[in-house]
Amino acid sequence: MASEEPGEIERAGVPVTLRFEDGVEQRIVVARDEFVLDAALRQGIPLVYQCRSGICSTCVATVVEGAVAPAPGRAVALLASEIAAGRRLLCVSHAHAASVIREHYPSTLIDRRDSPEELAQGESATIRANVAAVEWPGATVGKLAIEVADGAGFDFQSGQYVRIKVPGTEQWRSYSMATTPRELPRLEFLVRMIAGGAMSEYLTRARVGDALEVEGPRGAFVLRPRRASHIFIAGGTGLAPILSLIDALRRRSGPRPPALLSFGCSSAEDFFYRDEIEIRQWWMPELRVRLSGGRAARAASGLLRGNPVEAIAVDDIGGVETDAYLCGPPAMIEAARRHLVGLGLNPERIYAERFVAS
Amino acid sequence: MKPDDKPPIDATARKPIVPNRLYAPYLEASWGFKNAWYPALFSSEVGENEVKGVTIASHDIALRRVKGRVHAIQDRCAHRGVKMSLRPTCLTDETITCWYHGFTYGLNDGTLKTIVASPDDPLIGQVRIRTYPVEERAGIIFVFVGDEDYAPAPPLTADLPIQITDDANPVAHILDAHVYVRGIHREGNSNWRIAVENGFDPGHLLIHWDNVIVAATDRRMGLGARPIAEDAIKIIDEPNGPRGMMNMYNTRAYKFFMENKVIGMKARGKTPYYARTSVYLPGVLLVEHWPVPGWAQYEWYVPTDDRHHVYWEVLVGHCRDDQERREADYLYDHFFEPLALRDFNDNDVFAREAMQDFYENRDGWNAETLCAFDESVIMWRKIAARFNRGIQDPPHRRGR
Ligand SMILES: Cc1cc2nc3c(=O)[nH]c(=O)nc-3n(C[C@H](O)[C@H](O)[C@H](O)COP(=O)(O)OP(=O)(O)OC[C@H]3O[C@@H](n4cnc5c(N)ncnc54)[C@H](O)[C@@H]3O)c2cc1C
Ligand code: FES
Ligand code: FES
Ligand SMILES: [Fe+2]
Repeated sequence: MASEEPGEIERAGVPVTLRFEDGVEQRIVVARDEFVLDAALRQGIPLVYQCRSGICSTCVATVVEGAVAPAPGRAVALLASEIAAGRRLLCVSHAHAASVIREHYPSTLIDRRDSPEELAQGESATIRANVAAVEWPGATVGKLAIEVADGAGFDFQSGQYVRIKVPGTEQWRSYSMATTPRELPRLEFLVRMIAGGAMSEYLTRARVGDALEVEGPRGAFVLRPRRASHIFIAGGTGLAPILSLIDALRRRSGPRPPALLSFGCSSAEDFFYRDEIEIRQWWMPELRVRLSGGRAARAASGLLRGNPVEAIAVDDIGGVETDAYLCGPPAMIEAARRHLVGLGLNPERIYAERFVAS
Repeated sequence: MKPDDKPPIDATARKPIVPNRLYAPYLEASWGFKNAWYPALFSSEVGENEVKGVTIASHDIALRRVKGRVHAIQDRCAHRGVKMSLRPTCLTDETITCWYHGFTYGLNDGTLKTIVASPDDPLIGQVRIRTYPVEERAGIIFVFVGDEDYAPAPPLTADLPIQITDDANPVAHILDAHVYVRGIHREGNSNWRIAVENGFDPGHLLIHWDNVIVAATDRRMGLGARPIAEDAIKIIDEPNGPRGMMNMYNTRAYKFFMENKVIGMKARGKTPYYARTSVYLPGVLLVEHWPVPGWAQYEWYVPTDDRHHVYWEVLVGHCRDDQERREADYLYDHFFEPLALRDFNDNDVFAREAMQDFYENRDGWNAETLCAFDESVIMWRKIAARFNRGIQDPPHRRGR
């Protein structure tokens, strides 16, 4: 039977063209039962990914032609409407015919990464850093400032994250930079305190000068070169990469687009960084801000009742050209994506970073 | 576990916003603000077919006038980086040719049209240098300096002082129809911000108190002025228009000090006078009713690099006909330029250059100790931090 004795073509796999945002195309061959992401990495084409298990949506791309489908039985973090629009998570998808896949980022995004082999192993350069400060901007949020070692050659783009090894353990945790490359060698992170959490516990005993191992940068949650209005939605410490993106937007070349930041915490008591946001409003007359303090927020707190997703109304959408950047826990991202698509936003212009637990 | 169970390294709660945090972008702007109109040269300095080079906020720009119209093009040859203005070579009306190996660029779009010694070179049409928007008004060539993708450029009026209306005898605006405009520019050996801040500083009258123009006109000039009410400083934020601030010397919100008993110093002179100052992005000063009532003094502090600027001093007066023009010329030549633009302002230049070392080498922006009358300096910094259209990167960082 044909299925027992695959033909020449089937054994070799099907040709797939990966088309990047900057027009660059790469051709790969995806073997039967191989995931598209794995095939690309195997053939030396660096693609962005994170969890490799269909959860974080980092590897999302759009099928333009052909047949690419998720492996049966795999739960996939995409809306039905997104699947209908051709969106696929390449880390859990197979190619069943010659296909063309559009990536939502330029081919240059990960050029700077060390080598495709390292990428394939999920490992990039590890550098040394030292704790520069630990502060407590909110009741459940720690701010960790570190300095990377001189000459480590570390660079990144606003919105990206690194992995940090929790001192005294063999565990790694991911954190997004709240600062921009301008502040290098200093990096700042916002860390949500979780009872019994490895990194959370460490922060309470961290001392200035402590040595840290840092790996990265990683992630494709970076500013796209667009001029239309921008919406940023951040939940909790999801504010970190959003602040970095807003600072990058302010310093970017050309006229600054109108922007809206909707930031929320689960309660008014947990709310933090109001001053940091006020400063940015002063610096950017074109930045509007909505601050939410959860379901129980009282008017006296100056915060809106509810979450940062609900705080966005149809009038806030500056047309289909609007770009949205979301960061926070996966549930918030899903809710925000659904809400924004419902308000008429183009799903391809919604970029997200999910803070999934390690 | 709560983070405050055990006092961590720095358990400070929410900190108030300190002023210099609010104006942090201003402190980053050593090389000036970008995406702004700056004066490059007086019209009279670029004759027909002449090429002149200027540097504004690290941008090297060649100006060439052809058939009356001034073009501004990058003054760095794409080939080996020399300045074309060093040895102007113009072989056609539409192009500028580099004197070294003959790369020839279109004046309108900067594309490489030909290479003198390599007319079939594959680079032709593929390479370009950038051009800059130009506006020539009131005898001054203004250039819009900044990101090439900042388009369209805002109108020139957005980067000039406002039209004064709240005055019984308002001074003329530089773009008014019947005006007399004349002035000078010279190199200033200090960072541009030090120069701007000196320009409207209500506390610096001490350096002027014995100046020739003050004594000769018997001006009753105070020792200094200090804001005493909320509305002492008016923020100017016109939609698409000038952004800046005005020291409201015409109200009671400023207190003028005429005497200091501690050191036994008193203002001299009997003739009362009033000269209100206002300052605008990207660093333009207007002094109303100076050097004499009815006239206005405009000043620009155009950044060259992080340690030099070009100091522009321009006088603007109402002028309806040739007779008035001749009178104005006489006053300008024998009074305004020697006594106001030179003698009086030389003291400002001296003060700015004296500050440079502190701000450049001794952490002056953090080490300074500002006092009550410096409120308007602080306000300017905050306004500049808010309303600028971008901060100029040093040349080696541009495009990052
Ligand atoms: C790309 C990326 C970027 C990230 N950036 C940030 C960031 O900037 N700031 C930040 O605070 N976090 C960020 N995270 C999450 C972060 O990596 C850790 O997962 C988180 O800080 C918990 O680490 P921990 O060591 O304190 O707790 P752990 O030791 O990982 O967890 C302790 C216990 O809490 C549970 N748990 C973990 N997270 C949660 C949660 N959110 N809610 C409820 N229970 C939880 C775990 O399952 C475990 O049982 C990011 C995650 C990813 C994937
Ligand atoms: S890498 Fe594919 S969903 Fe996370
Ligand atoms: S340097 Fe200009 S042509 Fe060679
Ligand atoms: Fe002065």
